[in-house]
Amino acid sequence: MALLDLFAFGPGWGDELLAGFFVTLQLALSGYAVGTLLGLLAALGELSRFRLLSALLQGYALTLRSVPELLIIFLLYYGGATALNLLFQPLGLGRVEFSAFLAGLIALSLIQGAYASEVFRGAITAVPHGMSEAAKSLGLSPLAAAWTVTLPLALRYALPGLVNLWVVLIKTTALVSAIGVEDFVRTAATAGQNTKQYFVFFAAVLVAYLALSGLTMLLQARLSRRFYRHLDGARV
Amino acid sequence: MLMSYDSFFAMWPKLLSGFLVTLELTLLTLAIGMAIALPVALARNSRSAPLRYAAGAFIFFFRGPPVLIQLYLIYYGAPEADWIRQSWAWVILRDPFACAIIAFSLNSAGFVAEILAGALRNVPPGEQQAAVAAGFAPSRVFWLVTLPHMARIALRSYGNEIVFVLKGTSVASLVTVIDLMGAARQIYFRTYDPFTPLIAAGCIYFVTVFLLMRVLRRVERRLAPELRIRAEAQVKWRPLSRTPKDAPSAGE
Repeated sequence: MALLDLFAFGPGWGDELLAGFFVTLQLALSGYAVGTLLGLLAALGELSRFRLLSALLQGYALTLRSVPELLIIFLLYYGGATALNLLFQPLGLGRVEFSAFLAGLIALSLIQGAYASEVFRGAITAVPHGMSEAAKSLGLSPLAAAWTVTLPLALRYALPGLVNLWVVLIKTTALVSAIGVEDFVRTAATAGQNTKQYFVFFAAVLVAYLALSGLTMLLQARLSRRFYRHLDGARV
Repeated sequence: MLMSYDSFFAMWPKLLSGFLVTLELTLLTLAIGMAIALPVALARNSRSAPLRYAAGAFIFFFRGPPVLIQLYLIYYGAPEADWIRQSWAWVILRDPFACAIIAFSLNSAGFVAEILAGALRNVPPGEQQAAVAAGFAPSRVFWLVTLPHMARIALRSYGNEIVFVLKGTSVASLVTVIDLMGAARQIYFRTYDPFTPLIAAGCIYFVTVFLLMRVLRRVERRLAPELRIRAEAQVKWRPLSRTPKDAPSAGE
């Protein structure tokens, strides 16, 4: 079979691969959105006055950053639904089942949350103390001070870290193929198995991932121009 | 659901031998990765533009895609080429462990090269100039002045990279290598206990990373006197200051 026929739609593997690519993209985007929000909340909790909450959240972030991502994905896939059923059985709720996609999504979000909390914590503490003091002395409520003063400033410190995490997360999504999610990697493996042309398909996947990281770099340049435009006058 | 006591006790030797494979993978990856990364880092900062671009391309190519794809490409892709199957390289490439080492070290070399190149750029040029003025030969300037200072600067990022390599080796279990992750999965498939083996393996990874970070912090303090001085100065200064409790310390 000629090289291009392998990637043709219909008889070839083009449509399957495209579908797999979208599953990967879907996982990465939703995992990033949920995880980043989780990370922001975790960072706020870690920095809060509540010692126990802070310690628990720090433990969560430390654990998920020290254990292989693959292990977290397997643990959630094999044991996640069972654990939830054990927990909620006494409440008389129905049994839950995790699809591989859902288990993968939860695992990716939890991992992203752990890393993002670290980024947000650093960014929030990097905001000069005088800023929140000034907000307080102007009579802003704590919530308003956080929303209009601290967080917008912290976001600027967090941006490089957050973009970096996006690149890392895209690469982590490849691991969900191990629990049977029909993502980009798994479709390529199936295509390779059927055509005995593993090299071609995995090379294509590799190029697609490279393109994704190249695209992220371009986006990062544009984003940082927008985020740091207040510094434009100061640039020499 | 949960495993019996017998299988709980029988589980540990298997996990331990898996853990040894994990350590082996990690150490070999780090050593080979470093051997590749140092020349690439030098090329990245070299005066010749083609060398710089080649090094940049190497870093982009091996750092950009997921290591799993690189591993699959070698493990599944290489046997398809007849000329590889007939060459001496086949002795190496038919072994999943060796494939994992190749994929991991190239991937890690991409990251380490970028770390080292950045560190090299941050070695104060005055030190090298001083060494040249004192009559050091170029090679001695490099080995005695530039390299040690580069190592100090790179240590923190390199420490993170060690942790990433250790965690990343778990991917080898997907190409039939029985490392710690692979052993945990085997035990799961035998006992149908989804929690105990995986959580036990997770604890082993966690403790290893935790100890590693402690050792690295020690090494860093030992290698970087300037951090030590700043940290001590800050401790003395703190009672008078109004800095918030969790202001980043000098070591962070």
